[in-house]
Formats: sequence, structure tokens, C-alpha cells
Amino acid sequence: MIQIAIVGAGPSGCYLAQALLKAVPGAHIDILDRLPVPFGLVRYGVAPDHQGTKAVARQFARLFEKQGVGFIGNVTLGQEGEGGTLSLSELQSAYDVVVLALGLPKDRALPLPGAALPGVIGAGQLTRHWNDHPDDSASLPDLGRRVVIVGQGNVAIDVLRILAKRAEHFDGSDLAHRHSDHIAAAGIESIDILGRSPAHEAKFDPVMVKELAKLPHMGFAFEGLAHSGAASQDDARLEALANLPAAADHDIRVTFHFGATPTRLTGTDRVSAAQFDCDGAELSLPCDTVVSAIGFETHVPGLRDDLLAGAEDAALGVLRPGLYAAGWFARGPRGTIPENRQAAQALAARIAQDLGTLPKTSKTGAAALAARLSGLTDYAGWQRIDAAELAACDAGRVRAKVADLTDMLTLAAGRAQDHPETET
Amino acid sequence: MKIALLYGTETGTTEMLCEDLEGHLGGDHEVEMADLGDTDPTSLDGDSLHLILCSTYGDGELPATAQPFAQALIDAGADLSGIRFAIFGLGDSTYETFNEGSQKLAELLVKHGAKQVGDRTTYDAMSGDMPEDSAFPWAEERIAEAEPLFAAS
Ligand SMILES: Cc1cc2nc3c(=O)[nH]c(=O)nc-3n(C[C@H](O)[C@H](O)[C@H](O)COP(=O)(O)OP(=O)(O)OC[C@H]3O[C@@H](n4cnc5c(N)ncnc54)[C@H](O)[C@@H]3O)c2cc1C
Ligand SMILES: Cc1cc2nc3c(=O)[nH]c(=O)nc-3n(C[C@H](O)[C@H](O)[C@H](O)COP(=O)(O)O)c2cc1C
Repeated sequence: MIQIAIVGAGPSGCYLAQALLKAVPGAHIDILDRLPVPFGLVRYGVAPDHQGTKAVARQFARLFEKQGVGFIGNVTLGQEGEGGTLSLSELQSAYDVVVLALGLPKDRALPLPGAALPGVIGAGQLTRHWNDHPDDSASLPDLGRRVVIVGQGNVAIDVLRILAKRAEHFDGSDLAHRHSDHIAAAGIESIDILGRSPAHEAKFDPVMVKELAKLPHMGFAFEGLAHSGAASQDDARLEALANLPAAADHDIRVTFHFGATPTRLTGTDRVSAAQFDCDGAELSLPCDTVVSAIGFETHVPGLRDDLLAGAEDAALGVLRPGLYAAGWFARGPRGTIPENRQAAQALAARIAQDLGTLPKTSKTGAAALAARLSGLTDYAGWQRIDAAELAACDAGRVRAKVADLTDMLTLAAGRAQDHPETET
Repeated sequence: MKIALLYGTETGTTEMLCEDLEGHLGGDHEVEMADLGDTDPTSLDGDSLHLILCSTYGDGELPATAQPFAQALIDAGADLSGIRFAIFGLGDSTYETFNEGSQKLAELLVKHGAKQVGDRTTYDAMSGDMPEDSAFPWAEERIAEAEPLFAAS
């Protein structure tokens, strides 16, 4: 039987498994992840107040529940010789086909003086924190009353919306009360969101801005709209902005700045101002927190760069026969969940074609991994975590996520968790 | 009864729902399932009830696989007057353009002469309900409504 391993259980890995089930019937597919829980950014990126988007996970669940795909959690793909990890060559000796769908979890840092000051935080870290990712759940960022967001993509708008929402707007979400309480306690008064592009070329989708218009306690102001000129007045982005209520006596004032290039961040113990270049003039915004939302990069630099440099067809994700890359890891930190679906279908077709020419082997897949690694988790382990999260959720929330890796592993293993709330 | 189960999808939810529906209806009916993206609008079959399921994407647009179908229908100027269909939409009420994709598709089919059986039913991904809980009854009701129409012809 052909053994296929997909490393990374995010949307691209899951969509690829779906497509491979059709393109390579009879193959066995395992999806591996460093966490004991699947679904990548669907669980840990997509905003907690966008449960409709998170519902795509139900579709992925079917892979493991009905379609015979294996989930192997708590296994990290790492560099050769690194302790506690699985190397690529080990993985390739266990599987005929290996696909890397590791995503790009690291925030691209602002390349500015002052970027290392306390109070400067990456949007990925912040959204992981709100989503209770075990890597970033513990530290509560100190927000303050004035927030500057650098970047104007959809992730930046997610951050803006979550910071600006009132506690009651999180009903029906899975944002833990500790997060909504913390945001409310900060008493945010102003949010400035800045991008280099003119408004009609900003990276957000107009629907993301339209959603903001529904929050009555926010008022909006705009700087640099003139960059868009008269020619593009009917642009969907400009129209969405024009429909936002103006800043008058609102509780939170949001200012969009277009054509603003960040130059430096200043402060002594903590960031206290962010400086921008606007058409040659310096804009200085006093602030308590700077959130950078300017993209993502790989957390395993040597691996990704080397593999992509030698790739046979990097655009499609063909590294070399038998080794492939998918999703953000292959294409960079752009594109929505559905884009990964289309790309996965194209890659699956290519893998099926390559398999026709690969020599027949008798690799043992998961059995080989189990012999070499301890502490692996499985799909039933995730189902135990899932059940515990659903059972523990309180008023107004649809789930209470387990945010601690040790607790997750305990639950996954089916051992009783010595947690005060589960002792009743 | 002969049923053509057609879906337009972007993130795959509608396809999965159709697979469930195929399993649900398959015992009692002759069901054929296809992606709208692989369907030629001029080859729809007048002997089948078309059960169409379609999501919404972007800002109220048709999802990826329904777009080529809609374009082909417009380009061919196809006459669908012998075709009967019922439609189920998937959307998310976070968006102001809630379920406009299925609405646009229904209007387009009617404009080309197809006859709609019963009202469009919509599902809201924000509701937390499972789409099959409303899609299965929808399909059964529309089939019951359509049965006399097909028996008569
Ligand atoms: C904050 C944020 C919000 C977003 N919101 C939306 C939205 O609302 N709608 C939308 O359509 N798109 C959204 N996106 C984009 C969407 O999340 C991506 O298109 C998609 O998740 C990319 O999928 P992926 O599988 O390539 O990566 P990921 O989802 O990142 O999955 C990668 C997986 O690999 C695992 N992994 C990483 N390293 C290792 C390793 N060394 N060994 C083993 N496993 C590893 C991770 O644990 C993870 O499960 C958002 C993105 C972000 C960052
Ligand atoms: C980027 C994006 C845009 C969407 N736009 C709309 C919309 O305008 N109106 C709506 O009702 N639903 C919208 N939806 C929700 C989808 O229609 C809903 O999630 C549906 O279940 C997806 O079905 P599919 O996977 O078959 O495409 C959108 C979803 C996404 C991810």
C-alpha cells in the first residue's frame, strides 16, 4: 500500500488529504502535527467571533472519522539531529510520499528601530493568544488605551475588530472570558491603523470593513484618502470605508491612515510613540501598544529556504519526486482557506501522476513512526480534548479551549486531568 | 424519482453536504451527484428534479464552482424551460450579503426558463446548526412537492 504523510493538519494539509483520497485511491494517508489537535489556523488564526468560518473544520473532521485518514499528533518535524523531533529523512524512509504543509507561523518583524521594545506585538502572536494556542496562551499582553496597528490586511482588521468589540459582542464566540475581560479592562479609546498603500489598494477585503459598521460605539476618521485620487471613487474598498460612521462622540475612535510608511518606534521602558512617513512629513502617534500585522514567515528557515531553492516546480509545490510542499509553507503567507483547496487539488493531481513513475516499495508508515517515537497522539485523543472543551464552556461561549499543552496531552491520553474545574 | 444533485462550492462544505444527501436519498431515488463546475447547463435533463445546493462567497457572489456554470448558461443563452429545480443556499449571517449566491443562481435559472419548485431554503453557518438538519427535510419536502409534477408529465 502506498503510504502518504502530510505534515501539518491545517487547511492545506486537510484539503490535500481530501484531494488525494480521490486522486490516489487505495493509498493510506496520515496527517502529522506538532500539536495534539488538528486544523491549524482554523483553530488558531481565524477570529473567535467568526465561528461560521471555523465551521470548515467539520468537513476536515470527516477525513479522520469516516475516510480512513490517520491523525498523528505531538510530533514535530525538525532539522536533522535535533532532539525530540522527527527529521525529514526519517519521515521519508517511513513514507512513499511526504508533503510539508507546515504553514508560516512566525510574525514578520517590523524592520524598524525600536521594534524590540515591550508593547510591540505581532498580530500572529496576539491572535494565537486570543485563540488559546499553547505557544502563546500564557502571556497576557498589556494593551493600554491607545493602540497602533501597522498593516491593513484582513488579519489587521481582525485585530482591530476584536480590540474594539464590547464584551457582549463576543456572545456565540469561543473567545475565553479571560480575554474579553482583559480587553474590556484596558479601556481602549483610540485605534490607529496604518498602511503604505492608498485606500483602493489596501489589502483588506471590503466585507471585513463592512462588518465594522455594525458596531455602534465606534467612530471612524480617515487620513490619506487623497492618495486614491478621483479615478477610483467607485472602488469597493473606498465605498466600504465611506459607509463607516464618522468619529463624533463615540467611545472608540478608529483612524485609518493610508500612504503611511512606518519609520521608527520610540519609548524608554515601553513603546510610547510610533513614527511614520506620510509624503515626506513625519507623523508621530503616541501609543501604548503597537501591533504589527505585516505578514508571516517560516519558523524552520533552513528547511524551507533550501527546499524551495532546489524545487522542481515551486509554484505547484513539487520539491522533488516523493517530496512536496503545500499551503502557506509552499506559497507564502497569502491567501484564504479556499485558495488552499484549489491549490491542493492541483498538487494532488501531480502527486498521482508522479506515483505512476515511482519505484514500488514496502514502507510501513505510521508503524515505523510508532516504533521510533513515544508520546504520539491520535484522533481519538483530539476527540477527548474536543469533548472536554465543549463540556466546559460557559454562558455565551460555544467552546472553552484547553490552552495548556500538558493539559491537552493528558486529555488526549485519556488520563484523568487533575484540574480544579474537572474535579466536581 | 430521478434526482440530479448539483452543488456549487468554494470551501467544500456544500460538496460534503451533497455527499450526505446522496447517501440519505440514494435508497429511495435514482440520484446522480455532480459539481456545477463540471455541469454543462445545456445538458440538464428534463426527467430529473434538480436539487441545487450553493454557497455564497466574496461579497455575495457565486462560489468558485458555480461561476463557470453561470457564465456558460449566460453565454449559451440556454433555454431551460423543461427543467425543474429546487434550491438550498449556504451562507453566513456575519455577511450583509447573506445567501445572495443561491439567490442569484435561482434568479438566473428562472430567467432562463427553469421552473422553481418550492421556496429557496437557506442555512446560516453562524447558527451553529448542522446543515444536514435543514437540508434533509428541505430535499424531502421538495421531492414530495415535485412528485406529482413529474407523474403528470
Ligand atoms: C490570524 C489569521 C486569521 C485568518 N483568518 C482567515 C479567515 O477568516 N478566513 C480565511 O479564509 N483565511 C484566514 N486566514 C488564512 C488561512 O488561515 C490560511 O490560508 C491557511 O490556514 C493556511 O493553511 P496551511 O495549512 O498552509 O497553514 P496552517 O493553518 O498554519 O497549518 C499548519 C499546521 O502545521 C503544523 N506545524 C507547524 N510546524 C510544524 C512542525 N515543525 N512539525 C509538525 N507540524 C507543524 C501547525 O501546528 C499547523 O497545524 C487567516 C490567517 C491568519 C494568520
Ligand atoms: C471569504 C468568505 C466570504 C463569504 N462571503 C459570504 C457572503 O457574502 N454571504 C454569505 O451568506 N456567506 C458568505 N460566506 C459564508 C459561506 O457561504 C459559508 O461558510 C458556506 O457554508 C461555505 O460553503 P462552501 O464551503 O460550500 O463554499 C463567506 C465565506 C468566506 C470564507
